[in-house]
Amino acid sequence: MISLSSIIASLNAGLLENLKLFFITLLLSAPLGLVITLGSMSKIKPLRALTRTFVWIIRGTPLMLQLFVVLYGPGLLFGMPMKSRFTAAVIAFVINYAAYFSEIYRGGIESIPKGQYEAGQVLGMTKVQIFFKVILLQVIKRITPSMGNEVITLTKDTSLARVIGIPEIIMSADRFTKKGLIGPLFATGLYFLAMNGALTILLGRLEKKMDYFKV
Amino acid sequence: MAILEVKGLKKRFDSLEVLKGIDFSLEKGEALALIGVSGSGKTTLLRCLNFLEVPTEGQILVNGQVIFDASNPAMLSEKEIRHNRLHFGMVFQQFNLFPQYTALQNVTLAQELLEKDTAEYKQNKKAVMERIHERGAELLGTVGLSDKLDYYPHQLSGGPPQRVAIARALMLEPDILCFDEPTSALDPELTGEVLKVIRGLADRNTTMVIVTHEMKFARDVSDKVLFMDQGVVVESGSPQEVFENPKEERTRQFLERYFAE
Ligand SMILES: Nc1ncnc2c1ncn2[C@@H]1O[C@H](COP(=O)(O)OP(=O)(O)O)[C@@H](O)[C@H]1O
Ligand SMILES: [Mg+2]
Repeated sequence: MISLSSIIASLNAGLLENLKLFFITLLLSAPLGLVITLGSMSKIKPLRALTRTFVWIIRGTPLMLQLFVVLYGPGLLFGMPMKSRFTAAVIAFVINYAAYFSEIYRGGIESIPKGQYEAGQVLGMTKVQIFFKVILLQVIKRITPSMGNEVITLTKDTSLARVIGIPEIIMSADRFTKKGLIGPLFATGLYFLAMNGALTILLGRLEKKMDYFKV
Repeated sequence: MAILEVKGLKKRFDSLEVLKGIDFSLEKGEALALIGVSGSGKTTLLRCLNFLEVPTEGQILVNGQVIFDASNPAMLSEKEIRHNRLHFGMVFQQFNLFPQYTALQNVTLAQELLEKDTAEYKQNKKAVMERIHERGAELLGTVGLSDKLDYYPHQLSGGPPQRVAIARALMLEPDILCFDEPTSALDPELTGEVLKVIRGLADRNTTMVIVTHEMKFARDVSDKVLFMDQGVVVESGSPQEVFENPKEERTRQFLERYFAE
């Protein structure tokens, strides 16, 4: 007989893996994405071409493939095996999401009319002042909906890490199906819904905060 | 001495020469109307004055001092340009107000940033800010928007946004204020209020360069008219001379076509 508390404990342990992966990925890929954006918008042509090709490859191949490549690549190619599966998962996720974020940032920045920069310039502002005082908030407002979508996708994508052996929540629940229990599987669904419900509310608030102006 | 002198100004975009050697000067307190068909290079000329384009050749002098010389690369450093462009103010056809700031904030932002590095600001931030805000509110009053200080651009419609843009340009007290077709993006019934504001500035002897398609307005408000065509100044003179007694055939044709419409 499987006790309810053991099921819950097992699901919570799995969830912790998802949450760790989620927060670390978000924290690292958001700034890394900005670096990639700088590359893909650079005036230096080779750098721009290189960055855009990189983004194209990352976005054009499955995250699942990237997970395997990061886990096995270093060992099989360079004789330096990945010591931790979790680290491998983090690296793959961060690179993958940074590539997506960078494109969202780029779209946001490019959507700001040239006149906004020029108005700042003729008023004697520096490039840095123009970016931080004029452009940035407009970009944030424009990209919040698409960033929100990506973040919600990320919560669900974290479960993909099971393919390289991260004991995430669905894997935990799956162990119970082998013992004839479907309940835990449904429960994981509820976990995700709760998480994304909270995220949706948070994003809604953020959007509302920027409602006072229109871009 | 002229407040503004433009000498042999040329601008080329790749193979296209848009300005082919522009010369003119402007006295302090004068309003210059710049007229000509679309594509003749008027916007490009204003953009050169404001350093939004780098002229290929020529010089720009303000108060007798060379602030731009195409043959002197030292004058093209970002810092130098930022300093020199403050001689000019610019009012764009599309207003280009900052959407996340109120009317007052739009007007004061640049001044606040300029004063942030001063010793006075570091000592007495509050007093400096207050002075800037008072001045901003006063300027919005001048353009008839005292009751709209805290409105965001999207809450203003019609003529007011452009009037905010004018106040914003005035805030930095430029020597020469440039207007690029300030009423072209407005519905015809709204042009009047903006033109009235510019007329008021002319009455107070603001030095201005105004690109406009409003010929009647140009004739009334300007002290000097420049007719441009295909990147050259075809004719210049007093409004009476240019509008009533054009010497050049091209000017005559342009005016005939305009007034026939
Ligand atoms: N950034 C640019 N690159 C290439 N050509 C330009 C650019 N800006 C303006 N032009 C060209 O310069 C000419 C003059 O344009 P403009 O100065 O806008 O004239 P106007 O304001 O009198 O209508 C036009 O033929 C226009 O296409
Ligand atoms: Mg134009």
